[in-house]
Amino acid sequence: MIRRTLKLAWFKRNRYALTVVAIALSVAFIVSTLLLTTSISDVGEPLRSAYDNVDVVVTGPEVAGGDGPVQAISAPVPEAVVADLTRAGQMAVGFADPYAQVLTAEGQAGGQDQAAANVAEPWLGGSPLNGFAIVEGATPETVGEAVLDVSTANAASLDVGSTINFVTDLGVQEATLVGLATFGGADNDPYTSTILLSPEHQIFGSGDGFQRVLVADASVADVAAMAPGMEIQSGSDWVQSQQDALNDFLGFFSTFLTVFAVVAVVVGMVIVTNTFTVSLSQRTQELALLRLVGTTRRQLLSQVVLEAVLLGAVGTGIGLLLGLAGVSVLGWFLDVLGLVIERSSETSPTALAIGVIVGLGVTVVASVRPAWKSTEVAPIEALRSSEVDLVDGGGRRRFMTAATLAIGLASLAWGIAQSDILFTGVAIGAIFLALYLGADSLVRVAARMTRPILGRAGPTGTIASRNLEKNAGRTAAAASALMIGIALIGFFTLMAATIGQFIAGDAGEALETDLVVQGIGSQPEPALSDAVLEQIVGVDGVDVLVPLYQTSVSPAGDVEFERAGPGGGSGLGVALTDVEALDAAYTFVLNAGSLDDVGGSSVVIDQATADGFTLSVGDSLTVTSLAGPVDLGIAAIIETSLPGSPQPAIIGDLTLRAALGYGDPATAAYIVGPALASEVNDAIDLPTVEVVSRTDYIDGLSSNLDTILALVYALLAVAVLVALIGIANTVSLAISERVGEIAATRAAGASSRQIFWSLLAEFGLLAIVGIVSGLVFAWIAAASLFNALSGGQIGTPEVDVLTALLIVAAGLGGALIASWFPARSAATTDILDVLRAD
Amino acid sequence: MSDQTDQRNAPPATSSERTVARLVNATKRFGAGDAAVTALNDATIEFRKGEFTAVMGPSGSGKSTLMYCQSGLDRLTSGHAYIGDVDVSTLSDQELSVMRRSTLGFIFQSFHLVPALTSRENITLPVDLNADAEVDEAFLNELAVVLGIEHRLENLPSQLSGGQRQRVAVARAMIPRPEVIFADEPTGALDSKTSGELLAYLRTAVDDLGQTIVMVTHDAVAASHCDRVVYVQDGVLVDEGRNPTVDDVLGKIRELS
Ligand SMILES: Nc1ncnc2c1ncn2[C@@H]1O[C@H](COP(=O)(O)OP(=O)(O)O)[C@@H](O)[C@H]1O
Ligand SMILES: [Mg+2]
Repeated sequence: MIRRTLKLAWFKRNRYALTVVAIALSVAFIVSTLLLTTSISDVGEPLRSAYDNVDVVVTGPEVAGGDGPVQAISAPVPEAVVADLTRAGQMAVGFADPYAQVLTAEGQAGGQDQAAANVAEPWLGGSPLNGFAIVEGATPETVGEAVLDVSTANAASLDVGSTINFVTDLGVQEATLVGLATFGGADNDPYTSTILLSPEHQIFGSGDGFQRVLVADASVADVAAMAPGMEIQSGSDWVQSQQDALNDFLGFFSTFLTVFAVVAVVVGMVIVTNTFTVSLSQRTQELALLRLVGTTRRQLLSQVVLEAVLLGAVGTGIGLLLGLAGVSVLGWFLDVLGLVIERSSETSPTALAIGVIVGLGVTVVASVRPAWKSTEVAPIEALRSSEVDLVDGGGRRRFMTAATLAIGLASLAWGIAQSDILFTGVAIGAIFLALYLGADSLVRVAARMTRPILGRAGPTGTIASRNLEKNAGRTAAAASALMIGIALIGFFTLMAATIGQFIAGDAGEALETDLVVQGIGSQPEPALSDAVLEQIVGVDGVDVLVPLYQTSVSPAGDVEFERAGPGGGSGLGVALTDVEALDAAYTFVLNAGSLDDVGGSSVVIDQATADGFTLSVGDSLTVTSLAGPVDLGIAAIIETSLPGSPQPAIIGDLTLRAALGYGDPATAAYIVGPALASEVNDAIDLPTVEVVSRTDYIDGLSSNLDTILALVYALLAVAVLVALIGIANTVSLAISERVGEIAATRAAGASSRQIFWSLLAEFGLLAIVGIVSGLVFAWIAAASLFNALSGGQIGTPEVDVLTALLIVAAGLGGALIASWFPARSAATTDILDVLRAD
Repeated sequence: MSDQTDQRNAPPATSSERTVARLVNATKRFGAGDAAVTALNDATIEFRKGEFTAVMGPSGSGKSTLMYCQSGLDRLTSGHAYIGDVDVSTLSDQELSVMRRSTLGFIFQSFHLVPALTSRENITLPVDLNADAEVDEAFLNELAVVLGIEHRLENLPSQLSGGQRQRVAVARAMIPRPEVIFADEPTGALDSKTSGELLAYLRTAVDDLGQTIVMVTHDAVAASHCDRVVYVQDGVLVDEGRNPTVDDVLGKIRELS
């Protein structure tokens, strides 16, 4: 008897250990993501500090907005504006932000963060408009001297005193690194890699105007009077708008992380509820006995809740520690992935407090309902039967399932038919709820359907199947937890595949070029100067060179159209190229018109753009460009545009460059001919440019996406891990209530191997129910959501069978591993321990 | 391989044709040091084919330990336990499992039926566990009729009375036509009427089918149904007798205590 009690206590310890781990992981997840997001939002601080003395900021009128991935473009501020302001006695400085990319000590590009802008700025010395401060070495006094921000110098492993090289539109330049600077107290201007040079440097003398003009000791009204047609903002407004823009970009990322944190918490909650439900069902007798001797329900409830608080406290404590470690892991992961997210190293007490509240709250909330239900049981009833099922089974639950499913399917049908986002959202939510509520029915159906197969393995298979059906009410929660994790993995996989389609377009089939030339380590600055293009043409084996110039315009007038997919937003991407030469490198699916007619202001648009503006060949579209409004004639419509993020909505001939006021160098080029990538690379000899083969280029198109997907998977892995702990928990709980049965089966001659496999079959099947329903749900959610978001333009996502099988295999593998140890320990338990208990 | 086989099959010195189970100098100790308990102390005994043996003794005397060690459910500290000519201590877990499902039958005080299985499935469990064995349906029906559970075969154990459960357990023990059935206080949880029926049935199984049964009991009435009764005290076999009456057994117990 004592041994049996100890045995059960051992199982109980195991159960609580796993529950604590589940709580700890959930808390760790939410704390680390919160710590990361709070540290991210801090980048406004250096901006504010650096622009402390800036009273007015002048920028040019906006040409294309940056509300989508289409690059935002503003017209430059004429240099005359600065001259006028200075003449009027104002302290004003213009920044042209010319492209300047510092090479590492080894002469490589890409030492800096991939998504950072690489710019040169004039060193303003003691001017109050200077946001930079030297922290090591000296100021750049002559044209041959340079100062770098601390981050750039560190990333490129450059020390004060060394000679550095940097690539500009004027070619590779050399300078002596004389000092390091901070920006507003931070290691760099957010998302920018800056090289500070003497104002005399020729890079600042282009005469093309400024990106922004900073004015000190002035009022917005005064400056506005002197710079008509320009955008005038106060310094603090400008900082705020910059910060908002960054937050827009980061907001997505924060939301994204928060979603995962919430998922981890939900999964954790499902598991903790499950643990309490099962553990309290098993303790009904103990609780009933307490009731019998006069304990009130309230006293009983507080006893159970106290237990939950203790459990929650231990889990939360471990979770906080894990979370503090986790934030460095997440940060490290971001760095490895090349996702540039600037963060401070401060620990936000709010994040920790939320972690504590969530950890304790979830545990207590999860315990209250089963605790209350268990005290509801009449004392004498509990003494009679050893166990009372606390799970809401039967009619009410089935009715709720059917009702939510009906609501879900009805709004799904409406949402799909109307491409309506609200109905689709409701549908996804309702179907999810139905799957959660109906998980036990699904488990029962799966158990019944597989009984003939399991039965073939002998009576242990039958026992596995019967137990699965009988206990579905309480074990289904484990399947649900797994469903949530798998559904998210499936959803993001489908989303990535669909977005990948958008970015890569039909490049896989249509791109016929042999080589592609592109810039590295520098976005969105251009990389291929005319000189470089000439060098490429000179290489033996380069038959055709097709340079690509990318810019943006916006449709003139009130136009509502937004492109579907990641190229969306109100701006329109434009690719300018030698259309005749492009014919040799790219085979378009031509829907209307002829590519021969493209030239001057006659352009090609893709079908999505044509549909959006209801344009046909022969129509014209007025766009706002750097050179003002331009009428574009539609010469041809192609099915899918060139690859890129964003995919260009408009493809025009090189002759359109001037008309659009576009003077920057090319950003990429296609090469047709037998030349080798390495030969062209050697000929250019520019570390900021790389030449890749066609296949490498196509693979690379989705590499950013793969990077983000890798992060998503890593985050979801935590949720799935919590779900697998739930499975392990369920297995040990189920086994602890089944020691008698297992012993009886063993006494009748079942070997421990037969018992072990029957347990694995039972819980493997449970996992499969969760995995399959998760995948099906993911597909429904992805298909309906993409349909609604794209206004019906995106069809149903294609399912990669191999990926689906991989997810099933991984989920099932994880579940089997999670069941392995409890199942083995149950199968090899000494049966006499139980039989002797008579 | 051959060594092991030889050792297992070597005919033990005092074995006879009719011996189905044997303990030789069997000692079982639990725990160590001051807390050590010798539950079985140098016991040597044979159980012969077709014989219904009662193992009698006061509570804690070592009856169950004797049965568990004899049947291979537990391991001896020293000495040997044979089933047929096989020393059970040489068997692996897998071999012991196969032995339990084909050579031995068990009946326990608290039935130990598998709750997830119907009566029929519980009864055929040992046969079904053998991938290549077929259930003898005629024998199953015969057992069910004799035991009076023919109408309860599709019910789950939770839907049966204690007496019915125990009769299902008896059928389960009988179905593989085992060499020997070990019963540990099979009537302990039953009222006297139900006990009487069960014992009468066990008697019939011995007489009509030649079934060998070893029954652990502390009940003199139960022991009086047996061909032979062995008395255990403090782990030692102290006496035995044949064809006991209730009075014989009660007298012996009084004498021993
Ligand atoms: N697993 C065990 N651990 C320790 N002592 C045990 C164990 N099983 C039995 N014993 C002891 O061995 C002795 C014999 O027990 P048992 O064979 O169960 O007696 P009986 O069946 O005759 O009542 C008792 O003193 C008992 O306490
Ligand atoms: Mg006993």
